[in-house]
Amino acid sequence: MTDATQSDTAFRPKPSLPPPANTVGVVGWMRKNLFGGPVDTVLTLLGVYLLYVILDFVVDYGIVNAIWTADSYRECLDINKGEGACWAGIGVWFNSMMYGRYPDEEQWRINFGGIVLLLWLIPFWLPKVSGKIQVGISAVLTFPFLAASLFIGGDIGIFLHAMTAIALTLFVSVWLNVATCYLMGKSLPAVLISVTGFADKDDRLHKYVLLGAFGVGFVLALLYHLSWDLVEVPTTIWGGLFLTLVISGIGISSALPSGILLALGRRSKMPVIRVFCTAFIELFRSVPLITILFMAVTMMPLFLPVEFNPPKLAMVIVAVCIFAAAYMAETVRGGLQAVNKGQYEAAQAMGLNFWKMMALIVMPQALKLMIPNIVGSFMGLMKDTTLVSIIGLYDILLMGKAAGQNPTWLGFHTEPLLFTATIFFVLCFAMSKYSQHLERTIGGGYGRR
Amino acid sequence: MSIDTQLPDETVHVASAISDEVVIELASVNKWYGEFHVLKDINLAVNKGERIVICGPSGSGKSTMIRCINRLEEHQAGDIIVNGTEMGTNIKNIDAIRRDVGMVFQQFNLFPHLSVLENCTLAPIWVKNMPKAEAEKIAMEYLERVKIPEQAGKYPGQLSGGQQQRVAIARSLCMSPTIMLFDEPTSALDPEMISEVLDVMVGLAETGMTMLVVTHEMGFAKRVADRVIFMDQGEIVEQNTPDEFFTNPKSDRTKLFLSQILAH
Repeated sequence: MTDATQSDTAFRPKPSLPPPANTVGVVGWMRKNLFGGPVDTVLTLLGVYLLYVILDFVVDYGIVNAIWTADSYRECLDINKGEGACWAGIGVWFNSMMYGRYPDEEQWRINFGGIVLLLWLIPFWLPKVSGKIQVGISAVLTFPFLAASLFIGGDIGIFLHAMTAIALTLFVSVWLNVATCYLMGKSLPAVLISVTGFADKDDRLHKYVLLGAFGVGFVLALLYHLSWDLVEVPTTIWGGLFLTLVISGIGISSALPSGILLALGRRSKMPVIRVFCTAFIELFRSVPLITILFMAVTMMPLFLPVEFNPPKLAMVIVAVCIFAAAYMAETVRGGLQAVNKGQYEAAQAMGLNFWKMMALIVMPQALKLMIPNIVGSFMGLMKDTTLVSIIGLYDILLMGKAAGQNPTWLGFHTEPLLFTATIFFVLCFAMSKYSQHLERTIGGGYGRR
Repeated sequence: MSIDTQLPDETVHVASAISDEVVIELASVNKWYGEFHVLKDINLAVNKGERIVICGPSGSGKSTMIRCINRLEEHQAGDIIVNGTEMGTNIKNIDAIRRDVGMVFQQFNLFPHLSVLENCTLAPIWVKNMPKAEAEKIAMEYLERVKIPEQAGKYPGQLSGGQQQRVAIARSLCMSPTIMLFDEPTSALDPEMISEVLDVMVGLAETGMTMLVVTHEMGFAKRVADRVIFMDQGEIVEQNTPDEFFTNPKSDRTKLFLSQILAH
């Protein structure tokens, strides 16, 4: 550098060179991670051997020696002497493990409800659709009513009729909104307003137009829904994966909003609210879920009037919701504390009030930080719902256990457990992967940080 | 490339535009953190259009004082009146004052989950109920004034410290405040970026904005301030015009402070 640049005082950076060849690429990776030294090499070889032994057993048990068609467990054992799985039994018991004792000819209702929920949530992932928050809120708030009237059926009463009609109206408007967003490039409310010709009038009139449109939709949905005639299926015979998803689904979707409120309450400056929230959180966090379940199912009815006798499932769901909310509250509180104090101050200095500050500034940042913990809680909750089998609800776990007690399938225990474990793994792993995806994409990843 | 053309001319004082109207009044303000007496009987009146630089050693209460003016800190005794509104526990009054008073922080405090443009339009949209299009138009005007309109779509984390602080200034200006508070706006910046932020602040001073600036940039004080206030141990020790303050300080404490910060 000295000879060429001495006459020239300008600063010239040295050119960047590529790294040494044996530190990059596949070879570099293997040298670094697998064969870094004698110990590493031995461990790698040992690992490969262990992997071989395990895979060998899994393939033998699960595929080579497995029985795919049989009429009883005895038949399976006679063929493979118990050295392979009896997947035939899963085929026989599949329906029970999915739907419990829900009557075969009514199971379309469950499938239909599930499809409606999926369709309701799809617009969430469609890039051009506006009003995604409204989509989410409408689904969480009104789908449970639609599901209840669909799954229970029978004489559901005027309140549930009305709520179901609201749910149907909202569901249809969500998809009309998708249609207008994609075909006309405008949201449904904008289209409705421009169609009626009030586009240049004031906001108040717009609200009346939208309310009117909603009212018409509501009446149509109510008339349509009153024509439904479904046989009543009492919750006592619900079961299988369906029951697991009902309990954990309601628990999960109620946990976050109620957890946020409890966490804010615990941080509140108002003593009554703070003490109440703290007591609630500490009480339910310190008690095992199974205790809460037992109390809800066996003790609560003793305190309630005889004529008011809620179904066991309702009590269980309330108990799970309370438990989940208490746990979520502490997760949320941790996230709130991780948001820099400067963010609160900047929001206050701009004149945002408490709720706007929380909703626009603090919560979005806290929630992003909390995603791994929130999803962890959700996964825990989903797995905890198997505890309801102890108080006699036939969820997927108890249904699988019942299979092994059936006279024809006596002793058929391992396969239902493996099957249940696989289902839980698929559901939880999907949640985990989706949460990682969310972490990366929310808020454009904040750029460099 | 010669260096001196890049620096603002520090010898010319920005023309002042002080009116008689008092916009901030602190009367016998006292504040404690627990047992610790941080503000001791502060009396201060700021006129419309006045530019005040507040300096002093760390822990002297200068940040606390300006943070009381928009109630980021609560004072326990005395009165604070901003634009004729009495600061008290009344939330309506506090909100009214905060709408009128912009603040720029040492750590910028931009919202990292929002783009630069969204940072600037948030308060006009949600506090003033301004339509989005109008808020964006105003925001772009101010981003141009702080010379970074091309960064509007980026996130704060992608900008340098100096750029972030200029966005923070633009964000405050979007609420069209009548008073601006600056809490050590250049203390967290790399030396190379201080001047770009000070330039924006000088430009703001030229528009006649009422400004209270806590800073150690004495060049800025000489060039812009109408009054320099020196605080120590929670008290206003001395206040004077910059000329008098720097050439002829009265108190020994001020002399010591000036000798320490101007020595190198």
